[in-house]
Amino acid sequence: MNPIIGYAGMTHLGLNSAAASVAHGFETVGFDPASDRITQLQNGVLHINEPGLQDLLTAHVKRLTFSSQVESLKKCHVVYISSDVATDSEGQSDLGGIQDLIATVLPHLSPTAVLVILCQVPPGFTRNIPFSSDRLFYQVETLIFGRAVERAMSPERYIIGRDIPTREIPSSYKIFLEAFHCPILPMQYESAELAKISINCCLVGMISVANTLAELCEHIGADWQEIVPALRLDKRIGPHAYISPGLGVAGGNLERDLATVCRLAGEHGTEASVVQSWLDNSRYRKDWVLRILHSYVLGNTPEVRLGILGLAYKEDTHSTKNSPSLALIECLHDWPIQVYDPVVSSSVLEHPSVVSAKSILDAARGVDVLMIMTPWAEFREVKPVDLQQAMKGRVIIDPFQVLSGSVCTSLGLQYYSLGRPLLA
Amino acid sequence: MLIHHRSKPSIPSRVVVIGAGGFVGGAIVRQMELDNIPTVGLTRKDVDLLQPDAVDKLKDILQPTDSVVVVSAVAPAKTVTMLMDNLRMVEAVCEALASTPIHHLVYISSDAVYTDDANPVREDSPRAPTTTHGMMHAARELMLELSTQAPVVCLRPTLIYGAADPHNGYGPNRFRRQTKKGEQIQIFGEGEEQRDHVLVDDVARIAALALSHQSEGALNVVTGVSTSFKDIAEIVAKQFDGTVVSQLRPPGPRPHLVHRFFDVTNTCKAFPTFQFTPLQQGLELAKQGES
Repeated sequence: MNPIIGYAGMTHLGLNSAAASVAHGFETVGFDPASDRITQLQNGVLHINEPGLQDLLTAHVKRLTFSSQVESLKKCHVVYISSDVATDSEGQSDLGGIQDLIATVLPHLSPTAVLVILCQVPPGFTRNIPFSSDRLFYQVETLIFGRAVERAMSPERYIIGRDIPTREIPSSYKIFLEAFHCPILPMQYESAELAKISINCCLVGMISVANTLAELCEHIGADWQEIVPALRLDKRIGPHAYISPGLGVAGGNLERDLATVCRLAGEHGTEASVVQSWLDNSRYRKDWVLRILHSYVLGNTPEVRLGILGLAYKEDTHSTKNSPSLALIECLHDWPIQVYDPVVSSSVLEHPSVVSAKSILDAARGVDVLMIMTPWAEFREVKPVDLQQAMKGRVIIDPFQVLSGSVCTSLGLQYYSLGRPLLA
Repeated sequence: MLIHHRSKPSIPSRVVVIGAGGFVGGAIVRQMELDNIPTVGLTRKDVDLLQPDAVDKLKDILQPTDSVVVVSAVAPAKTVTMLMDNLRMVEAVCEALASTPIHHLVYISSDAVYTDDANPVREDSPRAPTTTHGMMHAARELMLELSTQAPVVCLRPTLIYGAADPHNGYGPNRFRRQTKKGEQIQIFGEGEEQRDHVLVDDVARIAALALSHQSEGALNVVTGVSTSFKDIAEIVAKQFDGTVVSQLRPPGPRPHLVHRFFDVTNTCKAFPTFQFTPLQQGLELAKQGES
């Protein structure tokens, strides 16, 4: 008999994980103490944007129950804690919420239930939970905003933390994990908690390399995009390496893990200055568009109207946590701006002169400079010639190369992107 | 990053410039006059900061509503004696501030406070000076920050040029004077070292903005554009119809850094509409100011 799976916390993580659970044939309970959120979900209204999630839930709705009553978890054989762990501007976690949720859930678990911590917690957190250690687990989550469904449905591996790694995993949990047909890697709690952080550090390290060398490209006439394929063919780097330059790490999760490493290194006297350098590099890259704008436009032409495409911190998400676009707009209060994002409303902005555009071309109409701050797929569909006709000025700042630089320049546009010199 | 205690600029009720007789201090006083800001410019004749009566004189002058600019220095502080004199000068200011509340304090510091290998230099680059001049400014920043409850902003200009420059150091000022006298401009080696040079009037304009916003923190006063000494020499030579020669055996020590660049992001954020005077234009203004 298949175990019943419960998720406490209908967050981005919890909801996507629950959807993957039902899609793999498991009866699933989605609990959240916020009754308004549960009411929305019961009515089929999602509070997050994630490609494929709505369809997945609709297809398997019969096996999924949403409830704001914690007693609903009583029948579950495996209960995941899937709350958000908030961070401050320095990436420090506030663990109060998850601790409260665990305290709420524990009294209502069945005597044989397995408890799994799925949230990002610092090493040492899980071991200190007052719960029977043979049924207490930490499971690394590898959610990627915009690819959460794909990641939840087809995980690369399960990293499982527990008290004694060689001990047999309880059958209910094992049946569930094996249904996803991926390697299962048991290890100590602390190793699993640090494994999650290690993954993110590796990613940030690669991103920092890309950012550092891409900036050099911009000054010496090289093109980072020409270099990338050569790197991907190197087995030591690999085809999926995070080597696309960007505007610094954002979203909150990577920053949290870097902050955790710095904190732990400080507490234990280990050397982690490279991690601080990654954070510095990230902060520096976040202002790339602002520097380009001041260096090449505002320094010569102070009276300009600006267009901005994209507010989310990355494509396919509604999240604006540490969004480079919002950080940029915060520095542009002296200029009128027109903004468009397919998902995020301009109401999140505190700007004295913002126009909320209805479309890409609406945002481009009459502006001197157009900045493409989020690489949404629909931005790739727009024809540069249409932008050129809509715009008053001739400057496009497109860090992620959403548009074709060569097409833009053939139309007489000045085109700035990460990793290569100005095209004009 | 600067914190503005006044998000919208307002005119300070009175600005007291300690060191008004100097190159930078004089430019700040002129900027205050242009902005119609009541200003008291104190020169060494008014208050000699190395004399025992300096503290009492300052206490008599300073008022709680004053914005104070400290720019007085014996610069560059090349010797231990000069270093200690500079510290004693600011010690007097600190003693006066300890018992006299003020509204705001602007300290004109220097990019010499940074470690040599910072590149690009940012406001959060380590303060790790390698010269007595840099050590002097770093120490004075700290002394002033510790001596008043008022917001303190440390402005750290890079190499400053302008008609009234008294130092005649290697760079735009010396090049201009050499050509004006009909001499050839002499550069070290190929003059390839790149530096950021800022016009003294721009330093004064930034100080005025910091005063009007009651800013707190540290800001580099730099243009963000580094130019080789050779290119600067050629611009100056062209202005005066002069010539540039490479001098293989420099008369003094060669600049210790090959290049120095600055990240100006914080200036873009603190004063978004501020525009630095482009080097060529600034050199022309310096030429006109000296003729």
